[in-house]
Amino acid sequence: MDVRLPDISGKTDEAVITLWHIAVNDRVEKDQDIVEVVTDKATFDVSSPCAGTVTGILKLKGEQVKADEVIAIIE
Amino acid sequence: MATSCFNICDLGKVGYEDALKRQEDLLRQRMTGEVGDTLLILEHLPVVTLGRLADEKGVFDPDYFNANGIPVIRTSRGGDVTCHVPGQLVIYPIVDLRARGKRISGYIDLLEDMVCCSLEELKVPASRIDGKRGVWVHGKKIAFIGIAVKRWVTYHGIAVNISNDITPFSHMHPCGEKEISVTSAEECLGEDLDMGRVKKIFIEHFISGLGETLSEEETLTAGERWM
Repeated sequence: MDVRLPDISGKTDEAVITLWHIAVNDRVEKDQDIVEVVTDKATFDVSSPCAGTVTGILKLKGEQVKADEVIAIIE
Repeated sequence: MATSCFNICDLGKVGYEDALKRQEDLLRQRMTGEVGDTLLILEHLPVVTLGRLADEKGVFDPDYFNANGIPVIRTSRGGDVTCHVPGQLVIYPIVDLRARGKRISGYIDLLEDMVCCSLEELKVPASRIDGKRGVWVHGKKIAFIGIAVKRWVTYHGIAVNISNDITPFSHMHPCGEKEISVTSAEECLGEDLDMGRVKKIFIEHFISGLGETLSEEETLTAGERWM
């Protein structure tokens, strides 16, 4: 399953990846925090939409991402 | 505890890390639905905090803070560098944004509006500035914002200079901005303010702005530790 950045701001559609809580091959549970992003004076922890194994992390710490962009893959 | 109630907790003067632990406990409880939304209202003991992306060089005169025993702490909120001292009113709403139909920008807009309304009731001519965050009085910043969100529940919040000495801000770049002036409500008014009255006004505007209404009994007891 693709993990996409939700529309967290509602005004600006860009955020910066500040901290990955997971790594490739990690087992994750549904709703587990997987990555922290920063936007508009706020940090936001994105949670996993499903349980599974992380098979891809597509954005590095410090990279900008847009809402609805795929940031990780969980299978 | 019913999840529909709006709790208000006045922590008085409290250290930063103790208040953060209280926030994190409430955050966990809010995420699981054990408690309803909560406003923590408090004054911090002196501390400088660095937001997630803040550059430590924003505290350009660390000797001043060392000499005055003011610790510099990296924290989990958004935003840049700021200073907390007694006399500055700090409000940390632990609020489920999904239940209120808000995303982050709309929520921060609302926080700023609630601070403006509260300050206006105190006769302080506060306003927002397009393209800038925080609340301002005649180009000087009076309120500072930095929040964090987990599973759409907020913590951290807003700090408003009421009666505090603003000298520490001149030894740092508040919000990471080099060309910024800072003020306080008392400096703007040229008169002393009663913090109990100030808290009551802010609580009323925050509860109203967040979509709830305090009963008369609750309003009158707003200064108590728990309502």
